[in-house]
Amino acid sequence: MPSNAIRQLARDRSLFVPAGLFIVLLAAVATRGHGLFTMNGIAGAILVATPLILTALAITPIVMAGRGAVDLSVGPLMGFINVTLITWLVGHGVTNPVAVIGWAIGLGAAFQLIQALVIIYVRVVPIIVTLSGFLVLSGINLMVMSRPGGVAPDWMLSWGAGTSVFSPVLFLLLTAYVIWAGLRRTMFYRNLRMTGSDERMAYTSGVPVDTVRIIAHVVGGAFTGLAALSYTALISSGDPTQGSTYTLQAVTALVLGGASLSGGRGGALGSTLGAINMFLISYLLSTFNFGTVSGFVTQMAFGLILVGSLLVNVFVISRRAAA
Amino acid sequence: MENEITIRMVDVAKSFGETKALRKCDFEAHAGEVHAIVGENGSGKSTMAKIMSGVLHPDAGKVTILGEQITSPVDAKRVGLATIFQEVLVAEEASVFDNLFVGRDGIFRSEGNTGDRWREAETILARLVGKPVDLNEVVGCLPLSIKQWIVIARAILRSPKVLILDESSAALDLDSTIRLHEEIDRMRASGATILIVTHRIAELVRIADRATILRDGVTVGVLEKHEITEANLLAMMTPSDRRASEAKDYASKGRDGAGAILTARNLATHRTAAAFDFDLPQGAIVGVAGLDGQGQDAFVRAVAGIAQPFGGDVQVRSADTGKMTSVGTLDEAARAGISYVSGDRKREGIFPQQSIFENLAIGVYRKNLGPLGVIRKPSLKPMFKREVDRLRIKIGSPSNKITSLSGGNQQKVLIGRAFANDPQVIVLNDPARGVDLGTKRDLYRELRIFADKGGSVIYLSSEIEEFIGFADRVDVFFAGRLFRSLSGRDIAEEPILAAMFGQSRNTSVEFDLERTA
Repeated sequence: MPSNAIRQLARDRSLFVPAGLFIVLLAAVATRGHGLFTMNGIAGAILVATPLILTALAITPIVMAGRGAVDLSVGPLMGFINVTLITWLVGHGVTNPVAVIGWAIGLGAAFQLIQALVIIYVRVVPIIVTLSGFLVLSGINLMVMSRPGGVAPDWMLSWGAGTSVFSPVLFLLLTAYVIWAGLRRTMFYRNLRMTGSDERMAYTSGVPVDTVRIIAHVVGGAFTGLAALSYTALISSGDPTQGSTYTLQAVTALVLGGASLSGGRGGALGSTLGAINMFLISYLLSTFNFGTVSGFVTQMAFGLILVGSLLVNVFVISRRAAA
Repeated sequence: MENEITIRMVDVAKSFGETKALRKCDFEAHAGEVHAIVGENGSGKSTMAKIMSGVLHPDAGKVTILGEQITSPVDAKRVGLATIFQEVLVAEEASVFDNLFVGRDGIFRSEGNTGDRWREAETILARLVGKPVDLNEVVGCLPLSIKQWIVIARAILRSPKVLILDESSAALDLDSTIRLHEEIDRMRASGATILIVTHRIAELVRIADRATILRDGVTVGVLEKHEITEANLLAMMTPSDRRASEAKDYASKGRDGAGAILTARNLATHRTAAAFDFDLPQGAIVGVAGLDGQGQDAFVRAVAGIAQPFGGDVQVRSADTGKMTSVGTLDEAARAGISYVSGDRKREGIFPQQSIFENLAIGVYRKNLGPLGVIRKPSLKPMFKREVDRLRIKIGSPSNKITSLSGGNQQKVLIGRAFANDPQVIVLNDPARGVDLGTKRDLYRELRIFADKGGSVIYLSSEIEEFIGFADRVDVFFAGRLFRSLSGRDIAEEPILAAMFGQSRNTSVEFDLERTA
């Protein structure tokens, strides 16, 4: 029932703002020149934007599970996978693609499993657990690798070339979408939304809320693994500190994509749009000459557009929904 | 088959901290019966329902449902038990359909056919609500009464062998309650066990086959159908020392008010509703009634300054100057001496994280500030004790969280909060929702004392019987405006009902009582 799916999308007002912003940004980028709209431009864009899109996707199911569970650990976790991959695996001669990919995804999933178990059984507020994860991993990353260095496995070096649209990095992204689409087709997606919207309601109605939460974290962890692979391909080496910057960017992308930080609302499409919008904003700003302050200008723009989009959501979209 | 025991509880006990919710609870219910669980607030009814549903675990004793032990709601679902809880539990952002079938499936697997479910849901919801409901609609956009139906339909759609209704008819109007009873009859005929936890004695007399009575966490007896009468129930529910005043008589002893203390002119509750005038005489208790959504809720909110009316002006006589002043905001209402008590405790009443003391005294902190704005708590202690004694609030330590109290006792704390402000006018918005008879009588008595001392009361209720023998006047709302004022002999079930349905005045009533009010 494709018409039904479209109707459902139209009903989901949370996508109006990110989709509108996407069109505006695309038009703005087009007026600044056509660099992005070439084969190389798109290939490069995919390479640069994928780690952000994947980290935004990684926190999506976790945030959707509710309890204000914004996963702050996602950035350092990506960094952790990156540095251990370079130091422990490649550093000891293990470069087999299966081992490397398995390590990345397995490590991400395992770490998130631990976080989920702590949240559920120790009953600590999720944001405290993931903040601890953020701090602990940020420290460990520097212990594993004190400064940027090392090299990615040989077979991965070509991934970061950015010469073809259909690069392996794109396939990492597509893998995440295939997993998400598969989950959406099952009852898990509904159970996740219900748990996030009102956990008491879900629990008393017979939804196994703990299992749902665990799966949400494990899926998020697996996506973080994919993000780490794309990040490693992007920088072709190990970096113990840069990963951490992705946490706040991923959260920003998530909110820009229309997800609710209190849970229950969100999705891959929204988070992807949010992340692409962030990429477009920084791309657009880079076409102007702000000199040495360009980094600050980009951050400020992220903040202003985030606030602006929330205001539009509150005063235009929700108002109409209430009427 | 008829006498197969579906639920058995033996010696069940459950405590929350120092509060013993259940001490010794024994219970049995059969297939094909409607069994009521009756008791005052804090007697442990809701705790019992939660234990049966697997939400709470008993400290001691044994619970068997359909021959099995239940330790979680997932278990309850498996054996065929469904519960409709007191709170209206819905996911606001999800569709009606998703809300109806939440928890029906495995984590990944769906256990039903979407098309079949869709048709089934449409049929049942239309039957319950009385009109079709769009299953694609987002629940947050729907009125409370429909949300309540969604919660009820969610349980009925499971075709449960045991259905527990915990005060589930509290938010329903009379018409809807009748439809709910039809549904219960249908399920009883198919051999299900239906447990009703309720305070509405009239409802229970009509529908229950048996009733188990709880008092202070102990089951004190079981009544068969022919024994279920208001007198019997009350005798068993209430401790003997409280049974003195059996008949409810808190009506005014016929004193004349000294003019209007609150007036509303050209008030409109809604864009399409006609404007009307309203006067509240000093020393009077005015009841406000109406079917669900006829503007009565917007009206009491407007006079209490909670929400702006669509049009018109509300004025209150100042206690100091005697002049009428306009009241448009909550702040102005508070300064004019209007207190508001909501029956929606969860959303408009309690501060769940705060203590009983804080919850009661919070309104008068501003009047009890010492140097540097420090609250003088010791000076509030006598007031606290006075209100607790007067309203007979059952509390442990004042520093316990308010959520350690039962719903009825929480409501009493909120009423204490309103009294503590020393108001001129108290506006109560269905305060007796989910509150037992003993508490209601305490409430009527205190409000009457308040009115006799010159205070004025606006009392909205969804239960007609509340007004009888209590209100001096009942203002019935219909189509968004004040439709008819009833007083004297007209404060009875039939005239109020007739007005609620917007029927023209019954010709058998001889005097035009509207004008004498």
